[in-house]
Amino acid sequence: MLGSMTASSATLPFLALLIVGISLPMFGGGYWGVIATRACVYWVLVSGLNLVVGFGGQIAIGWVALLTLGAYTTSVLVAGNVTPALPPYLALAIAGVVGAVFGLIIGLPALRLRTFYFAITTLGFATIVTQVALAWQSVTGGGIGVAGPIFPDPFASQWGFYYFCFGLAAICTWMTANIAASRFGRALTAIRDAEVAAEACGISKSALLGTVFVFSGAVAAVAGGLFAGMQSYITPDAFTLDLSILFFIAILIGGRGSILGPLLGTILLTVLPEFAAPLVAWSTFLYAVLLLVIVLAIPGGIAEILDFKNRRPLESDRAITPRPELLGLLFGSAPSAGALTLDEVALSFGGVRAIDGLDLEIRPGQVHGLIGPNGSGKTTTLNVISGYYAPQRGAVRLNGAALPALARHRRARMRIARTFQTPRIVSSASVLQNVMIGGTIDGRGTFVESLLSLPRHRRDEATLRDTAMLALAAVGLERLTRVRADRLQHSELRFTEIARALMIRPAFLLLDEPAAGLSAEEIERLGALILAIARAGTGVLVVEHHPDLIFDICHRVTVLNLGKILAAGTPAEIRAHREVVNAYLGA
Amino acid sequence: MAMTRRQVLASAGAAALASGLAKPAIAAKQPILIGYLPALTGPSSSTGVGINRGIQLAVQEINAAGGVDGRQLELITRDTQSDPTKAVNGAAELTRGQKVSVVFGPVNSGESLAVVPLLARTNTPQVHPCWVDSLTDPKKYPMCFRNAPTNQQIGGAANHYVVDVLKRKKVAVVSDTTGYGTASVNAYVPMLKARGADVVYQGNVDAANPDLKPELLRMQSAGAEAIMPWSVNAGFLSRIINVRGQMGWDVPVIGQTTLGSGQTQALLEKPEYWAKVYPNNFRPVCYAAGGKLSDRTSTFLDRLRSAKIEMGDTLLWWIALGYDSPRMIAEAMKNVGTEPEQIVGYLNTLKEFPGVYGDIAFTADKHDGYPDNEVVMVEANSLKDGAFNLAPGYSA
Amino acid sequence: MLGSILSTGLAVGSVYALIAITYNVMFSASRVFSFTAGTLGMLGGVLGSLFIARMAMPVADGFLLALVCGAVVGIITEIVAVRPVLKSLDQHLYVLSTLALALMIQQFTAIEWSTEPQPFPRLLDIARGGFDQQIWLPMLACAVVIVGLELLYRHTLIGHAILAIAEDNFAARALGLPERSLRLASFALAGVIGALAGFAGGEMLLAFFANAPLLTFYGFVPVALGGMGNNRGAVVAGLLLGLFQQAANFLVGGIFASVAVFTVFIIVLLARPEGLAGATFQRRV
Repeated sequence: MLGSMTASSATLPFLALLIVGISLPMFGGGYWGVIATRACVYWVLVSGLNLVVGFGGQIAIGWVALLTLGAYTTSVLVAGNVTPALPPYLALAIAGVVGAVFGLIIGLPALRLRTFYFAITTLGFATIVTQVALAWQSVTGGGIGVAGPIFPDPFASQWGFYYFCFGLAAICTWMTANIAASRFGRALTAIRDAEVAAEACGISKSALLGTVFVFSGAVAAVAGGLFAGMQSYITPDAFTLDLSILFFIAILIGGRGSILGPLLGTILLTVLPEFAAPLVAWSTFLYAVLLLVIVLAIPGGIAEILDFKNRRPLESDRAITPRPELLGLLFGSAPSAGALTLDEVALSFGGVRAIDGLDLEIRPGQVHGLIGPNGSGKTTTLNVISGYYAPQRGAVRLNGAALPALARHRRARMRIARTFQTPRIVSSASVLQNVMIGGTIDGRGTFVESLLSLPRHRRDEATLRDTAMLALAAVGLERLTRVRADRLQHSELRFTEIARALMIRPAFLLLDEPAAGLSAEEIERLGALILAIARAGTGVLVVEHHPDLIFDICHRVTVLNLGKILAAGTPAEIRAHREVVNAYLGA
Repeated sequence: MAMTRRQVLASAGAAALASGLAKPAIAAKQPILIGYLPALTGPSSSTGVGINRGIQLAVQEINAAGGVDGRQLELITRDTQSDPTKAVNGAAELTRGQKVSVVFGPVNSGESLAVVPLLARTNTPQVHPCWVDSLTDPKKYPMCFRNAPTNQQIGGAANHYVVDVLKRKKVAVVSDTTGYGTASVNAYVPMLKARGADVVYQGNVDAANPDLKPELLRMQSAGAEAIMPWSVNAGFLSRIINVRGQMGWDVPVIGQTTLGSGQTQALLEKPEYWAKVYPNNFRPVCYAAGGKLSDRTSTFLDRLRSAKIEMGDTLLWWIALGYDSPRMIAEAMKNVGTEPEQIVGYLNTLKEFPGVYGDIAFTADKHDGYPDNEVVMVEANSLKDGAFNLAPGYSA
Repeated sequence: MLGSILSTGLAVGSVYALIAITYNVMFSASRVFSFTAGTLGMLGGVLGSLFIARMAMPVADGFLLALVCGAVVGIITEIVAVRPVLKSLDQHLYVLSTLALALMIQQFTAIEWSTEPQPFPRLLDIARGGFDQQIWLPMLACAVVIVGLELLYRHTLIGHAILAIAEDNFAARALGLPERSLRLASFALAGVIGALAGFAGGEMLLAFFANAPLLTFYGFVPVALGGMGNNRGAVVAGLLLGLFQQAANFLVGGIFASVAVFTVFIIVLLARPEGLAGATFQRRV
């Protein structure tokens, strides 16, 4: 989750927990062993759910359904009342596969439904699974329940089983930490906080979420098998909604986008009710209070409290000093493309003609300005090029070939990048991580390779980091790479977006009002940067309200009014154009 | 009623806290720790609440009389909240954390299904009053004893009454979705069929379901002539009786003892609805012909009254069972000591423990201690001072 | 049996419809779905039983007091769980804050009131008949609320103002409408409707803390199927849901019935995420 330079300080808490966990039998009694085992089992599930909820931002409240599935699958396979009795490890593995499948099934609605609706459907699934467990007596024993699996020696004894669960918990911690520090983890946070920007960077929401649902489901089902072993006997009423709430709240209390936070949250919530017998009855109430407090007061949770790094004050008089000379290094020898053209594009929203017969050409190496009064269709034009809207007439072409409409997340592959009117960034991530999101599609390694931190993943990460550092240096933010994005000034966020867009070495860069909110000096530096980007071979389209900036840096300018072209030509021509002066510029 | 339960919970919680925090004084003799796993709250808490009143009285009396060999008995309570998971956690804590000598409970079968194997693994002697047949097995669980009847004994009495005495052939068997309910239905349906009855309806219904009319209508349209509910959930049972009354459906209700509890009575819409309800009960705590109780039971009732123990909202046999259990355990310890093997050895040869609730006897091969002939059927609305009359036509 | 299915189905469907309206009123005022809608329904039943049965208040007094408590809970929801998160950039925090609040209320009720369903008092001293009060009370409540809301929204100034805030928040504020007070009033109104649903349905559903998650789900299904903010769609969908659920209950029994309802709901929602009557929602770029 953090760069290699601070790796040692980041791993310290994990190492501490590892040591405490391994040495627990020496100072903890048998009963604390039970609690610790339970915390490990819960964490195995929560670690996977963390990717879905904490990183992906999906409100999956009913995940106990997968715990139930895993518990029953493992127990029934080991008990052998339906199939011949299987060895526990095999049963556990099969449960994992079942969990993977159902994780996908339960998670898929997230791609179609709004947040609250999805949350309700997960609750529905949780209830369905429990009811099926109750009703399917011949397999699950119904209300009678079924004995849990007993794992063979050395894991049969209490401490042996504890080490088994602890080992799996440690592995899950390692795997999910790897994902967090990979392009997948960052892409998940992008989907969560800046979905539109994520699409523009080429991140496919359905593919990524599908993957984490599969992983999370598998891991939750394995946790279910361990749960059944720990309980030694399971009945449907062991899988209460309260458990689902516990898992969910542990992640929120821990803080989204963190591994350590939810880990501590899980331990906290497991251990808390054990301190006094009356507390057990009130435990869910306490969890809810904690959740409310966190949401209202510390949305970042435990992770935010522990984020000491980001409490150090930043220099107050920071200046953004781009170094355009680095762009050559960044772009290397990127192949040049033909032109990006709009031919007679028209789009209406209901009765309003947003764009009416627009012709536009963006050539590589040129800066093309698009200006006009509010509501003239400038941002709509950008959105059509980016693929958010399909033109009702005409087409957007790259090198003559029409771009597929509405395929937003394929634009990045065509090396079309953009920034947004309001910066869309992941506030809780660092500037460096935000910029690295821009290069997500350049990674070669698969999800599994990231999970296991295999060489290709590590190479990807090194390359991405180096490229991002270069891009940040080019735009002038190299002193702020480690800073959490929500601490930045507005102008710094705008330059961060540009750095992110540069990650794919774009053939075409679309800038939506990049100068809004910048000081005069910053606008000057922005202009120089844009010109340098164009000189490196990119075709730049700038939508702006600052006429001075446009006239200074653009090779060509198009003026829109009410969706139609009012004028098009060189800056000098436009400045003198009578209608433009009347409609927009003023004398 | 809720106040009483809360008081009980508070005292149990206080006892638990106190026992957890207090360290035994070095000078005084160490107390004997008895683990206790009642369901004091939750949907199946009627049994636990009733038993608890008896057990607290018995322990007080034993300690007031000097305890066992000068050592006081200390009950370490963990409320299972009718939840098998919490029962498991409680059992783990009692054996591993508190290191109790003996465990009494859980009192509900669903919870015992989970706890019995666990206690067997920790070599802790266990006495429980749960009915599901598989909960004792002298070979698998050599340290587990049952001081109450089995489902076979209960079902035998009930089914005999329905089929042979009331002469109803078409029967509806219904339970809630707990382990106890499910196991009971699974056990009783074949027993009924073996007696020549026709089971026209068989189902498990969520006890929290407020509307039981659909289920009763389905029973009625299947032609049921008797309803046999098996649940310890007073709300569930009262709703069955209420719907039967609302429908004006004249069929007898025969089943679980809780049908006759004061708690169920309090939830009935009309007192008349309690007619033709015949729950199980136990001869020692019922009125014999002539309306008299046995001496042992009368004395016990007097003791309850002078200790001001509430009886009206529960069943006498629960209180009696709760009263008998620690006394049986204490007697074992008085005779042979507190080591697990010694206690188990003593119980394995227990010829007769004369309890208020019943005369308990065990052998090494039979860990079900309740005698067959003491299970009877009673008439619910004959409830007076905690005891019932035998059901009409019942004799066995 | 058909008669029972129809009567019980329409009755329980009316309760679901009322909870759906509660969701919608809160949504219209804040563009936020609150998990407390189902909890309000539960409180209507529990408080009704507490005031009338346990504390022996007259029925009318207990009824009014329960409604007042509902309004209070609605106001608390707005102040504690909705207002603070509306300002935040993270649009989905409201799901968590309302969930937390709903859980707190449910758990508190479970511990202090009872974990078991408690009887709900008979409200009107009429003999039990075929078309019993537990059937027509919820239907009456539903009809009254629908007519009342219609009158409110179409014929009163405050109703128009509430609609304006819901339709176009910025324009309404620009016109000087007191957005905060109107939102507070809407949530109080939603609280009253929710409590009314639980109270009217109390004889059927009993006073049970676990009615909260039940109503949260079953009250949301009509919202999802009828379209967000669409009260008429919600009522139709609610009644249909009630009929479907009761039919399943009578024909196949409780456990399978709930599985059937959940499954059908999820399938319909996946096929038409915007609801059977709703319009596709626009994305904002």
